[in-house]
Amino acid sequence: MTNDVIKEAVAKQQSGDRKLAADNSILGKVMTFNIGEQVYGIEIQYITEIIGVSHITKVPHVPNYIKGIINVRSKVVPIIDIRIRFGKPEIPYTNHTCIITLDFNDIAVGIIVDSVADVEDIHTGDISAAPENKNVNTNDFIQYMIRGENDTTKLILDVAKLLDEQEA
Amino acid sequence: MAKIEPGMEAMLDMYFFETNSLLEQLDEILLRTEQANAFESDDIKEIFRIMHTIKGSSAMMGFDNLSVLAHKAEDMFFVIRENPDVITDVSFVYDLVFQVSDSYKAQIEAIQNNIGGEYEQMDFDELTSKLIKARDKLNSEASGDAAPADTEAASAASSTAPAAAGGSDKISVRVFFEEGCQMENLRAFLLINTIREECSFLEFSPADVETNAESSKEIVDHGFLITFSANDDRDYILKQIETALNVQSYEVVSGDEAKPAGTEAAAPKAEIPPEPVKEIKTEKTSPAPKAPEKSKPTDQSIEKAQAAVANANAQQAASGGAQKQSLISVNLAKLDALHDIVGEIITTESMVISNPDLEGLELESFTKAARDLKKLTSELQDTVMSIRMVPLAGVFQKMNRIVRDMRKKLNKDVEFVMEGEDIEADKSIVDSLQDPIMHLVRNCMDHGIEDDVQDRIYAGKPEKGTLRLSAQNSSGEVIITISDDGAGIDPDKIMDKAKRMNLLTKPESEYSEKEIQNLILLPGFSTNEQVTEFSGRGVGMDVVKANVEKCNGTIIVDSKKGVGTNFIIKIPLTLAIIDGMEITVGDLVFTVPISTIHESFKVEPEQILRDTSGNEMIMIRGVCYPILRMHEKFGIDTEITDLQDGILLLVESNNKSVCIFADKLIGEQQVVVKPFPKYLSRYNIKSEGLSGCTIMGDGSISLIIDTNTLIG
Repeated sequence: MTNDVIKEAVAKQQSGDRKLAADNSILGKVMTFNIGEQVYGIEIQYITEIIGVSHITKVPHVPNYIKGIINVRSKVVPIIDIRIRFGKPEIPYTNHTCIITLDFNDIAVGIIVDSVADVEDIHTGDISAAPENKNVNTNDFIQYMIRGENDTTKLILDVAKLLDEQEA
Repeated sequence: MAKIEPGMEAMLDMYFFETNSLLEQLDEILLRTEQANAFESDDIKEIFRIMHTIKGSSAMMGFDNLSVLAHKAEDMFFVIRENPDVITDVSFVYDLVFQVSDSYKAQIEAIQNNIGGEYEQMDFDELTSKLIKARDKLNSEASGDAAPADTEAASAASSTAPAAAGGSDKISVRVFFEEGCQMENLRAFLLINTIREECSFLEFSPADVETNAESSKEIVDHGFLITFSANDDRDYILKQIETALNVQSYEVVSGDEAKPAGTEAAAPKAEIPPEPVKEIKTEKTSPAPKAPEKSKPTDQSIEKAQAAVANANAQQAASGGAQKQSLISVNLAKLDALHDIVGEIITTESMVISNPDLEGLELESFTKAARDLKKLTSELQDTVMSIRMVPLAGVFQKMNRIVRDMRKKLNKDVEFVMEGEDIEADKSIVDSLQDPIMHLVRNCMDHGIEDDVQDRIYAGKPEKGTLRLSAQNSSGEVIITISDDGAGIDPDKIMDKAKRMNLLTKPESEYSEKEIQNLILLPGFSTNEQVTEFSGRGVGMDVVKANVEKCNGTIIVDSKKGVGTNFIIKIPLTLAIIDGMEITVGDLVFTVPISTIHESFKVEPEQILRDTSGNEMIMIRGVCYPILRMHEKFGIDTEITDLQDGILLLVESNNKSVCIFADKLIGEQQVVVKPFPKYLSRYNIKSEGLSGCTIMGDGSISLIIDTNTLIG
């Protein structure tokens, strides 16, 4: 989803116009997954498949969050451990640990997540902009947020930033 | 700036393909005939035809400047053709036509690079005025020597004579073009031009096809009526009409009854007589060859282009009809896809055959079936490989042209010898070799061959220099040698320069002559004081080296001062499948290309030497090799760290050798090389000794060692 769509959705909620504010149309779908206690999401158009963790071949001379490469039906795909990428402690892989493979502008990567949760609709009324945070590191990868029931918040990742940022 | 006309994009591919191959043909003819400084009548006809086709198709595509240029060149050749006996000196024509061909290539490239966008329309005014001048010059020469009659009259006279001899009546033919082929009027015009030279009398209707686009409609509705009488062979003209591009069918509407019962009588009767005019005979245009083209709706533009080329051939050779069937142009992307699939089949096959579930089972019929499968897949692989193989001749021919130009510009008398141009290599390799070879040829011409003929005479060499470009096959590699018998490389000069540029990495005295010569391959190295049009900017030799190495090749300089220089390029036949030795380090599997391995062996602790800084080395048959521990190099955890527990592999690349230390050998396997995923390309993996990866029989991934960067 483009940033313009998000801005528009946020603006609608905040506008005085009741009709606009009540607009709760579906903008798309996200797949949600857990990392620790937090629920994250990725819009489904970027997701190609979900696979279990198999043997990952290490590759030398890459940052530590790139765990290596795997063979997904004869395609060689690099694997990023989201935990390490976000600076969270590494935990051993369990039966729930999954690799979500993404495709963004023909760049394929897999990300390791603790467990996959759900696929749900994005409603206009639930969107919140990502907090403006001067601390660049933490919210760099969050494009926007979705408010759920019981005051939960799902952080939707910006795939472009996740894949594209340059290694310093 | 100009834009490609909307609706024309679909035909662009075909246009580029056709025009480029015609230009190449033109170059070839010119190079062949230049030596004799005279055109054979067949050659002139051929050039004329090429110019015609280019003119017509350029006009059709809306590239007016190109069309005008071809038109002027055609005019010039018209004069030459009509006065073959009078015009003797045509040497200045060659340069002119080469210029035309170059301008064409440049403009086409500009258009190609901006498909969909705007492209710069080049200005050919200067060239066209040159062409006009040349034509006038030829004209005056012709009319001066010949009868006072002007050329037109002369041509008319000359062509009526054989006509009378041939004895032919007028014949009318109604031509129908393929449905939906567009631009019928220009196609008709092209057709007229094709047959014009064979006809003593020629009329056609509608008559304004060249200028009036509206005439297309009439042609579509009623066909294109041509009335002609042949110079000598009417069947030949009919054949030309029949094989012309996009002609669907034609019918003879009037003419002779006395026609010999040759081809037409034997041919099957027509299926579609579109308009029942006073029809005498109709026939279906092309018998077998064109049928598949119509029935196959796939990739029409390419097939059409193919047909165009086949057409060109058809007019050259009598056996043209057969060629249509035996050649087909295929999009390279499709071949790549096929190649990938075959690679995957081979991987999957070994996954099945060496499946761990089968271990320890006695499976007699399975083993037999597996063996058959293996045989078939390896045949499949060979066939796919051979499809991608193209001869080096295409690249070599282009060098011919470069040598010719430089010979003139530099005023050096050089004989250019080509050998082994029929040797084949993978298409992608041949493509990537063009630039390096071109650069080396230029270097040899510019720096290699002596500037002053006197220098050659003093050195006891023949006045005429020799530049040799040869290719040969040897054990899975193609060896391309570019050699000259010029001044050779002066090692002292190189050393001086290298010292000044701070390119030396060890004390001067330790450099062997071979090493000094190979210094010229380093970036930023150019000893030529004078930067010329052709070479000497210092970029180049290192780019040559990088290009060659990109296709896993190597380049060696071998030169002797005063005797000459050889550049030797070695490249593998194909890129994608290599024989590899699998080794393990910790839990990682690496693949070492077998071609780089000299030997593998176990060591005893007492064989190990250490230098002052503690680097390990080993002495083998009197030569000392450094030891490279893989687990240290790639930061892998392994239990085997004592040299005597693991295994050493002596590998060599680029004349440098090293012993790599691994845990153990697994065995030999053919592997399909896959590049690292795009996402990883930003990291420095490739320069650290890994060239790619491969998927092994059990589905796991092995990393392929690049001995070149591993050592360097």
